[in-house]
Amino acid sequence: MRYKSQSVAYWYFAVAMVLFGLQLVFGLLSATKYLGPDPLLYILPFDVTKVIHTNLLIVWVLTGFMGATYWMVPEESRSELHSVKLAYIQLILWTLMGVTAIIGYLFRYGTGNKLLEQPLPHKLVIVVCMLIFLYNIGMTIKKSGRFTTTEGVLVLGLASSAVLFFPALLHYENYTVSIFYRWWTIHLWVEGVWMMIMGAFLAYLLIRLSGADREVMEKWLYVIVGLVFIAGILGTAHHYYWVGVPQYWLPIGGFFSALEPLALAGMAAYAYAAMRRSGLAHPNTLALHWTIGSAVFALFGAGLLGLAHTWPSVNKWTHGTLVTAMHGHAAFYGAYAMIVLAMITYALPAMTHGRREQGSSMGYWAFWLQISGMFGMTLSFATAGIGQVYLERIMGMGYLDAQLKIQVHFLMLIATASVFTIGVALFIVDFFRYAPRFQLSQEPDPELDTTSPSSAT
Amino acid sequence: MLTLDSHRQFPELTQSKNITPAVIHGKDVWHKYNCINCHTLFGEGAYYAPDLTKITQHRSEPYLQAYMRDPSRFYDEQTHRRLMPKQDLSDEEITDLIAFLDWVSNVDNQGWPPRPILVTGSFVPGADTVTAAERDIDPDKPPPGVTPVTEADDIRARGQKVFRMASPACNACHSTAPGADMAGPTMAGIVSRATQTLQSGDYQGAATDVEGYIRESIVDPSAHLVEGAMYSANGTSFMPTTYNDSLTDEEIDQLVAYLTTFK
Repeated sequence: MRYKSQSVAYWYFAVAMVLFGLQLVFGLLSATKYLGPDPLLYILPFDVTKVIHTNLLIVWVLTGFMGATYWMVPEESRSELHSVKLAYIQLILWTLMGVTAIIGYLFRYGTGNKLLEQPLPHKLVIVVCMLIFLYNIGMTIKKSGRFTTTEGVLVLGLASSAVLFFPALLHYENYTVSIFYRWWTIHLWVEGVWMMIMGAFLAYLLIRLSGADREVMEKWLYVIVGLVFIAGILGTAHHYYWVGVPQYWLPIGGFFSALEPLALAGMAAYAYAAMRRSGLAHPNTLALHWTIGSAVFALFGAGLLGLAHTWPSVNKWTHGTLVTAMHGHAAFYGAYAMIVLAMITYALPAMTHGRREQGSSMGYWAFWLQISGMFGMTLSFATAGIGQVYLERIMGMGYLDAQLKIQVHFLMLIATASVFTIGVALFIVDFFRYAPRFQLSQEPDPELDTTSPSSAT
Repeated sequence: MLTLDSHRQFPELTQSKNITPAVIHGKDVWHKYNCINCHTLFGEGAYYAPDLTKITQHRSEPYLQAYMRDPSRFYDEQTHRRLMPKQDLSDEEITDLIAFLDWVSNVDNQGWPPRPILVTGSFVPGADTVTAAERDIDPDKPPPGVTPVTEADDIRARGQKVFRMASPACNACHSTAPGADMAGPTMAGIVSRATQTLQSGDYQGAATDVEGYIRESIVDPSAHLVEGAMYSANGTSFMPTTYNDSLTDEEIDQLVAYLTTFK
């Protein structure tokens, strides 16, 4: 660590780890319910475990984004954070919001609007937290007077994700209109501004890890942001299929979502090019695994698997089936979970005592078990979904009968999800087994930029 | 721009004039009980339970009322492996939720789903069912993989087509396989059961023969109630009473001819 205030990131990461662990508990519970019968039917029915599973995902990934930002911005701006105190207040408020929301869901306290289930008071706390966060980051950059392109993309992404939360606060009497604007938040978050956040982290990590030329990396970043804007914004239209909007959204959605993988392909090509060009000088090879892994898995999960069923004439049959769950799991994991884990892995050696820079063997096990587990889960959902589409939609079998016929895929889902969970458990153990340390590893050196902070120790 | 135009079209596409206070309250009930985190609506939701976009076209209001009061009377968790937990909805909540689902079923959503999504249903390869929406677009177009039935065909073949294409489709609730009772009793063996009913002495309806009994069951489902908590409550059958209006006399003749083939 070069800046003392970067240590707040550790606590954000720690909270994110705990929530990630909890998310998997509820994910596994939900997966076993596909097999049935469900002994917890009247205590923890599927709707409750599912809502907690998805909400924990959003909360822990955002916690990770915030922690990673608090780590990255001091380094990029070469300055301490504007206010460490505000950062802690924000973390405490945010965690309280997350924890009480989840306890609330256990008692069915929520608004039941998919992915935006948070009750209004919680939504307001989210807004307050985002404002504190943006203020703190903004002031840090302003005071330092140094604003890099990577930061620019990151801040643009974070600010837009706050702005786009506002449609979620409004109330609509027409369900179709409500769906229309719900996607302004969800889709534009996930396929727009979060993608920019991911791109910024990816650029930062590649510059640090591969020593690639900042100028070149930043040009790539402009290309990606451009593509995200063009494809991501109009790609929202693929959520407007079959919900009661005018017909013209169908071709628009088909065309622009087909473009969406381009941005991801750009990112993957960019990661590969950076790796080739630099000769991988950085000792933290585990972080490099996560970084390149994130770019590749995002291209696979978000890009290719999304493309697989985004065309209207295909989507007509696959819409609302487990095929969507296939795409959702691989996309979120590759693009967002993995980039947060990459940032954590990169920052961790500098924040803890006695950790080897290049990563422990436990860390590598965590990486490979997670990758293979998630790949298996994706295949399970895919095969289950294809079976479901064929039996239910093409052959005309009833929903419940079709679900009985694809049970073997749910067994496979549980098996691969267990592999994934072991991988995550190892990551969490590896995270917590070294005590945090908050001394500076070196004096702030405004002249040096491309050296990583920890490689000099 | 397109958003503005969408707003211009929303009233017509979504029949917003039909959004009554009951529909709005029903939407709130839908949210309050977190229905979307198991079911899907317009295909959006959690994929764990059946899509309900067109459910009011498949199931009558009395059926849905009874179902929501206690789903365990309709499905067995040991057999189906999934069961909706009892939600303890008030009568008003149930009625308004059905009003909301009925409004949803009338939204013009580009003809989706392309084929009715049944909750349970017998396995019918190449079942020639299309949605009401698609039929409006091109009534003569058969769905993929289906042998079209024409006027020249046997009356029973035409009846079989009506069985699958009536709205709501008969095969959404009735299978034709022996012993496979779904939301309604199986059609297998209906002729022998009808004969027994007519001879039993406690039959109160107007019919005097099997054909008459089947016709009566189609146009006036409550005239004679089949025993079973899944089929009726308070002297009312759960079967929709709309077939007398939605089917022509000729179609009902075809249906009766088809059903009398199930001895």
